[in-house]
Amino acid sequence: MFGSMVSAQEPPQGAPANLEKTPWLKGVELSPYPTDLTPTLPLAIYLENGEAIPATVTEDVPLVLVADTAIFDETPPTHANDQEIPNPRWDAAVAVSWYFIDWEKNQNFNASTTSGLAANQMVVIPTTPTGRGAVTCHMARRLRYDAPEPGRSKVSYANSSAGRDVRVLDITPPLCGLEITIENGKSGSFWPVEFPPDKYPLPKTANVYFSGGLFDAVDKEVVVEGLELGSNMIVAAEQVTVKVAADDKLNIKVVGGDNHKLDNAKLKFGICNAAGGEPIPVGPINEATIDLSGIELPDNPYVFIDATDVTGNRQVLFVPLVVAK
Amino acid sequence: MKKFGVFLFVFAVFFSYAVVISAQEEAADAAAATEESATTEEAAEIPGSVDMTLEMKPGKFVMPANFRGGDPDRGLVNAVEDVFYEQHEHSILYKEDAGEVAEGATFEGDPNITWDTKVKDADGNFQTVSSVNTNMAGNGGKFFAPGEYQIGNGGARQVGGGEGAENVTTGDEGEEGGEAGGGNQTDEALVGENGETAEGGAKTVTANQAMGVLVHDVTAPDMWIAFQEGAGNVDMAATEQELKNKMVEKMVANLGRPFSQKAEEFEDASYVFIDEGTADERNLEPWKKTARLSVAGALFNERGAPKFESKTVESKPLDQEDLTSQIHIAGGEKEALKGVFVRRNVPFIFAAMSVDNGNNRGTTAEVACRIETADGKEVEKDGAAYLFRVPNYPREEYKDQPEYFFVSKAMDKSGNLTTVRMPLYIVNIQAAFEGGRNQ
Repeated sequence: MFGSMVSAQEPPQGAPANLEKTPWLKGVELSPYPTDLTPTLPLAIYLENGEAIPATVTEDVPLVLVADTAIFDETPPTHANDQEIPNPRWDAAVAVSWYFIDWEKNQNFNASTTSGLAANQMVVIPTTPTGRGAVTCHMARRLRYDAPEPGRSKVSYANSSAGRDVRVLDITPPLCGLEITIENGKSGSFWPVEFPPDKYPLPKTANVYFSGGLFDAVDKEVVVEGLELGSNMIVAAEQVTVKVAADDKLNIKVVGGDNHKLDNAKLKFGICNAAGGEPIPVGPINEATIDLSGIELPDNPYVFIDATDVTGNRQVLFVPLVVAK
Repeated sequence: MKKFGVFLFVFAVFFSYAVVISAQEEAADAAAATEESATTEEAAEIPGSVDMTLEMKPGKFVMPANFRGGDPDRGLVNAVEDVFYEQHEHSILYKEDAGEVAEGATFEGDPNITWDTKVKDADGNFQTVSSVNTNMAGNGGKFFAPGEYQIGNGGARQVGGGEGAENVTTGDEGEEGGEAGGGNQTDEALVGENGETAEGGAKTVTANQAMGVLVHDVTAPDMWIAFQEGAGNVDMAATEQELKNKMVEKMVANLGRPFSQKAEEFEDASYVFIDEGTADERNLEPWKKTARLSVAGALFNERGAPKFESKTVESKPLDQEDLTSQIHIAGGEKEALKGVFVRRNVPFIFAAMSVDNGNNRGTTAEVACRIETADGKEVEKDGAAYLFRVPNYPREEYKDQPEYFFVSKAMDKSGNLTTVRMPLYIVNIQAAFEGGRNQ
């Protein structure tokens, strides 16, 4: 009945699992020690050109990886954990899975199937920056061998897997925006979204979404498309503006973040003089409330958000501030 | 005496040297032994991968190896579609202590666990159906379509060795002269070859296992039946082929569901649709399975009024041991499908097709169907079409006329059945159906 399964027929050894310390074993009732003839074969993964996978790779830059393992050999292994496999023969094709693991989040991402490559090759695109990551490859192939009873056979799986530890360098600037509420007045938010996502080669681009009465965008979103994501993101006055009165009080909150880690010490927001280049603040910066009546505004003021991630990628977004006369 | 004193002095000096030399040799030996010990521990390198076990949890619907007459050595778990199954897996990589992975090793965090389901395609290759990163060694789910699957589990965990190596190489605590101590060696002691260890000294170790599952079909096939009347000099043979072609095209494109619910789109031909139903009616457990019967067109009521009607019908177990099921549509006066009503002296043709979830409704198969009398005798075509010259409806007025039945039967490869047996009535209608006038 369970002939096909790679089972552990002996009861688990040692103390039962402590589910407080190993909660992932909840519901698991089998031993970790295989008793079937299920060989684990070494696997090496490297770059297409034969070189080792670098310890640091770059976000969104595809890597063509190759897996080298005897699981693709014409004949299957003859031994499993020092036990001889009687008359082994392959019984199916190799099933292959590639993953990219972000150990910081303990989350993995399935590498998409890549057509046109050999079965032992895969294009892996590390889309998640991380200081601790790994590319892993897992393969299994069904093998059949002679059972002790004459004329009968059994099935098990040869397995081959490996991981290569990598760091993924963040090349995407932060995606920060602002939520602005006018005291006793309208409110609204704007935030950039990387589009197209995971774009490479650089530069990266983003659409900026505006929502709320402050931007005449109630129950809808106004989108400014195709800004270069970086330190010079300027929304034109004919596209969207923040409309205020000279004596308004603005309550401001930062929304959004970075795809890895924001450098909070470098985060700045407020009102600045003109758009482009290094923002020259007018009035207080990083204040939750800005009282416009206390500021002498320039001719063309902008609301700005200036964010940098820990890798140094910087995003500065300028949105025109229009004061009603 | 003086000479003896000199001898004693020389002996003492020699002995002292000997003792010193001996002590130095012992120290050197101890150091060498400790170094050897350290080297031995360094040799206990963290492996790239370790073994894993994987199993389907026993359950009522984990079927025996010879299920449905299968080869008991096939080596696949026999399962049925649409039933919840649980799997579990284990590895030393998931234990609390990393000592079994490598002596002195430590786990640097929780494992990363992914359950991967692949289905075997026509070329024998495995295509990914789902890949779920649950980080749990137990998993459960349903197979929504029959086929050969491979369940794979990929596990990974970061393993470090710093402290473990340090403890081994430091030697006895409190012992002076700890020159053999590991100290600074620890960061490198468990670094794998080729720079496998990432910053922080941890290395990703993997484990992998798979099992094959043969998922059996327990759903009756979908069936479409089309009736089309001819008029004038229409080539009924050509019409029949066109009708079949249309059904082939639309049945696959609509995955067995009716291609329209608008009565006006069934003016050329009338259809009976029997399928697994709407999205929320599909993939029900075998003991809850239903089908949906839809009738569309003008030939399913005595007035010839165009309509589209639909209702669910029960699916019944056909074979308790093989878990096959049957949908049977019995037409009649008190049934959802009263019967098919054709006009006397008007030639008509019919055709029936089926699709099955056994191949994801990817191809059609022609269904055996015929008109027979109450005693099961087949009624032959009159040339290229069926033609009846004498009415038999209403039955009370034409008791002397024979009863006719339309019967059809579709069976999939697994033995699931869809059958229809409904009365065929010949009505005395002279005018067009659209007028609804029955003379």
